[in-house]
Amino acid sequence: MKIPFSWLKEHVALTATPMQIADDLVRLGHEVEAVEMPRAAVVGVRVGLIASKQPHPDADKLSLLKVDVGDAEALDIVCGASNMDEGDKIPVATLGTVLPNGLKIKKGKIRGETSCGMCCSETELGLAEASAGLLILPADAPVGAEVGAYLKLEEAVFDLSITPNRGDCMNVRGIARDLAADAGLPLNDLDLHAVAIDTSVADAIVTVSAEQDCPVYMARSIKGITVVDSPAWMQAKLIQAGQRPVNGVVDVLNTIMLDLGQPMHAFDADTVSGSINVSSAQGGESFSALDGRELTLNAGDLLVNDASGVIALAGIMGSEPTGVRETTTNIVLESAFFRPARISETRRVYAMVSEASMRFERGVDPDMVAVAMQRATNMIIDLFGGSASEVTVCGDAGSVNADASGASRQVNASVSRIETRLGIEIPVAVDDVLVRMGFALQRNGDALTVSVPTFRHDVSIPEDISEEYARVIGFDKIPELLPPLATTAPAQQDRSVHDAVGAGFLQVINYAFISASEQRLFVAQDDLDIALENPISDAMSVMRRSVWPGLLNTARYNMNRQQSGVSLVEQGRVYLKNQKAENSHDEINVIAWLMSGDVEQDDWFGNARQADFFDLKGAVNAWLTLRGLTGRFIADDSMQGLQAGQSAKILVGRAEAGRIGRVDGDIASSLDIDTPVFVAEINLDALTTGKQAKFVPLPEFPGVERDLVFLFERTVSSEAILNAVKSAAGKMLTDARIFDRYDGKGVPDGFVSLGIRFALQDGKRTLTQEDSDTASQAVIAAMDKRFGAMLRG
Amino acid sequence: MSEIDSLKAQLESLQADALNAFAAAENLNALQQLRVQYLGKKGALTEVLKGVGKLPPADRPVIGQHVNATKSALAAGLEACETTLAEKEKIARIEAERIDVSLPGRTKGKGALHPVQNGLDEISMIFSQMGFVVAEGPEIEDEFHNFDALNIPPEHPARAMHDTFFVKEMGNGEKSEPMLLRTHTSPVQIRTMKRFLAEGGEPPLAVVAPGRVYRCDYDVTHSPMFHQVEVFKVDRDVSMAHLKGVLKHFLSTYFEKDVAIRLRPHYFPFTEPSAEVDIGCVFCAGKGCRICKGSGWIEVLGSGMIHPNVLQSVGIDSEEFSGFAFGLGVERLVMLKQGIPDLRLFFENDVRFLSRMGVNK
Ligand SMILES: [Zn+2]
Repeated sequence: MKIPFSWLKEHVALTATPMQIADDLVRLGHEVEAVEMPRAAVVGVRVGLIASKQPHPDADKLSLLKVDVGDAEALDIVCGASNMDEGDKIPVATLGTVLPNGLKIKKGKIRGETSCGMCCSETELGLAEASAGLLILPADAPVGAEVGAYLKLEEAVFDLSITPNRGDCMNVRGIARDLAADAGLPLNDLDLHAVAIDTSVADAIVTVSAEQDCPVYMARSIKGITVVDSPAWMQAKLIQAGQRPVNGVVDVLNTIMLDLGQPMHAFDADTVSGSINVSSAQGGESFSALDGRELTLNAGDLLVNDASGVIALAGIMGSEPTGVRETTTNIVLESAFFRPARISETRRVYAMVSEASMRFERGVDPDMVAVAMQRATNMIIDLFGGSASEVTVCGDAGSVNADASGASRQVNASVSRIETRLGIEIPVAVDDVLVRMGFALQRNGDALTVSVPTFRHDVSIPEDISEEYARVIGFDKIPELLPPLATTAPAQQDRSVHDAVGAGFLQVINYAFISASEQRLFVAQDDLDIALENPISDAMSVMRRSVWPGLLNTARYNMNRQQSGVSLVEQGRVYLKNQKAENSHDEINVIAWLMSGDVEQDDWFGNARQADFFDLKGAVNAWLTLRGLTGRFIADDSMQGLQAGQSAKILVGRAEAGRIGRVDGDIASSLDIDTPVFVAEINLDALTTGKQAKFVPLPEFPGVERDLVFLFERTVSSEAILNAVKSAAGKMLTDARIFDRYDGKGVPDGFVSLGIRFALQDGKRTLTQEDSDTASQAVIAAMDKRFGAMLRG
Repeated sequence: MSEIDSLKAQLESLQADALNAFAAAENLNALQQLRVQYLGKKGALTEVLKGVGKLPPADRPVIGQHVNATKSALAAGLEACETTLAEKEKIARIEAERIDVSLPGRTKGKGALHPVQNGLDEISMIFSQMGFVVAEGPEIEDEFHNFDALNIPPEHPARAMHDTFFVKEMGNGEKSEPMLLRTHTSPVQIRTMKRFLAEGGEPPLAVVAPGRVYRCDYDVTHSPMFHQVEVFKVDRDVSMAHLKGVLKHFLSTYFEKDVAIRLRPHYFPFTEPSAEVDIGCVFCAGKGCRICKGSGWIEVLGSGMIHPNVLQSVGIDSEEFSGFAFGLGVERLVMLKQGIPDLRLFFENDVRFLSRMGVNK
């Protein structure tokens, strides 16, 4: 909301500068988005330095000044003031300047001496009614600068962001009230004069059948007006306040709304048939809104009807046909209080925002309904002629804030409790500020009774009073105090992503929503997707069920930017409907990796190497090991989006905890990634914490190692081979692994040569050649029997 | 010359030759050959000894002494040369094995935590150390926890300001309760208090709840997903002064300097009184700059005393207990601390940005 400074001053005689006012507003809880300083009014008044001062040869009261305004030559100025000296800085209206009082500065001779400008007082700059002598500027004012800009003294406009609880401040008078109370200045009385009633004008006939939603409704007929444009001063005011002038009548109503906070509406009386009724919609009524939309209304909407249909969505928007236009001569003015929750709901449903609805849904002042009607009538008759009927009044303003017993709203509070919960003392003197804000206070020992003014719909409990005290005393007066702190031991931090980062992966964070087609890359179609009702775009419309699409996008983004390889990790949730329980869902915490392109760069010690399955498997295994877990990787050709033969599910204990594999080549190339992409994902919620190892004595006797090389069929898995070795070699076996793998020259097609190294050890004795021979024979026999594998040379 | 004198002369000359040869040996290998040449079974000394048999028996012990003296002289000479040569060879080997220690070491890539993760860690740690317990909650929430329980009824204007993402109907049957992506971490406040009370707990309760939140707003300064940390404490006689104290401690610890804080009255439905919190600009020390738009202050978070309706909605007696709560935007704090100019950088995940701004720990 924009409020011109001069408009504020119509309500309170503020003396502070706009910047000070802005600080006060912030302190009182009104966010100042900006203080706008239009500069047109005094362009050409610049900061001048009095270089020399001589008496005028022919006039006692005049001085001859040489004034430096930053140009090559100092200006000769004849000046009649006496409060300045050499070295002073003063505002100088240079040639061509038009002062706010209309005076245009020209070159001239005063008593025979040339004068090329005019030194100004506050009055001449339009800053004050009267002033004594020149305005002497601060010594550090920059010579030649525009005075208006320098002092920020022109007509300032405050751009305020009013919080939703302060409907009472969505108008100039409300803001003025807070400022006046804070500064200890009186709020000017409203200048109201009685309306001359023309009894020959028939009263508007109104009935209200929705009293709950419309506790007060006033209407008045005005006949014989001529709708001309509103006067220039009013248009200027509206423009400064950010409103566009429409026509005379609408401008008057908008001005009153901005000034007093009461939104009003005018119907063209000749388009209204019969009497007016305010009622709740049955549902299905049609309405042609002023903004051009055709609506079908819902049951419960609050309507203003005439005999033929809906003429306004109450408090939000009038109908197109009944609006006031240039040709209108007879009008019906409406001023009312509509229940905030009702207006809010209707406005939301139709996504309509109007200046009126913004005020009604925050709550207007029921006592202002009649005042606004009186003022609008007078202004319309003054500006556009016509004669007014009596006001038709339905309902009672007093009922709005009354409790069940009819009494006005009171809050009972305890001063000491307010003090405890704010952490400061509440001096009795502060009560005066609240009184100036419209509250009535009564202290009785610790008991405090507060009567709340009709316009403060936000104050109803002791905490609201506490906030009022806090803001008028100042939040800065509250001390900074550490509360007694518990000494609970901090819980163990989740190190999942940290461990992956330590292993060389860069952590990324992607949005939790992806496109429907990305969802299908790695998750088959089913009905467990969770989609957004109102996504930003199709690309962000479904809650992810895998982190991989996001990682793939990150890989693409970076590999398109000259990265030869990426190793990425992301931790976050995936989301899906719960199959078992209706209308519930699961959020599963997962960690996912992606590797593609160079894992090792060309370097002084070696050549670049591209990531393969085993780089990622190694990383996942190492990560599991850090948590005391062991993973089993079970080949699985059926995984969506992964290449058959290079993908596996990951079992941890008995639980299927994740999957790993090479992203299908078509998917990778559709993303312009031309290196193999490997991804893994582990469900963190499926992992149990690994057990801490129990101590086993270290062996005292040396062990032996044996290497055996066999020719296997390619289809045999190394896991099966090693399992067979383990069971064949007997209890002394401590380790078995593949130490060599070769399928080049000399190895027949479909076969692979694998070197198996196994270690034997006994806790009670040193092993002999015989022991290792026996074990070797057993292994050789087992390899032959299980796999038909031949021992090589 | 007698036989014996001739032998003595031979021994002397052999010793002189040998010692010269040892000294001239270039390496241990050469020295080894010389050992064989002079002291070996078929060496020069053996050759000389053959002449001893021809001596008269009386002369033999005499010459025997000479032979032994020559032997030990040669052995001592050998050992001395060996030591020198070994020393020399070691020095040569060390020189040959000299490396350029300034060459980079072999590493497995350069991992780094995302700066937002690092921010979350730092923030959670500060509050953990103050005795706040970490809690989490669902990101897909119901309207009750996200709004109603936080004193934001359906018709409330603040509700419209939240730019809420709604989730499509999840049930198959009749119209189920609308679900949404939580717009703030405040619902964790409700869930945690409810759970705490259900488990028989009684205040004090101090919680820090980090997590992702969502707003249907996407432009230069808004991301549809970002991270918040909700912090609250409920106890007897918790005051606004405590709120200020905790804020001051937290912000000063986080920014690693004594930052000034300023509370401005504001409005949030779930707190009363409510305050926006500014810190003295960390870029210009409050003098006024482009970042703080000349004001010397930067808005960092929203805070307040928990509204009695919120406490009552979870069954805490607001007469007996009070609390403070605040919610801070993690990205915003990280941007301020690390001087990151653009929110969008966090979710572009450019590895050059991540490896520069991220932290490996
Ligand atoms: Zn600054």
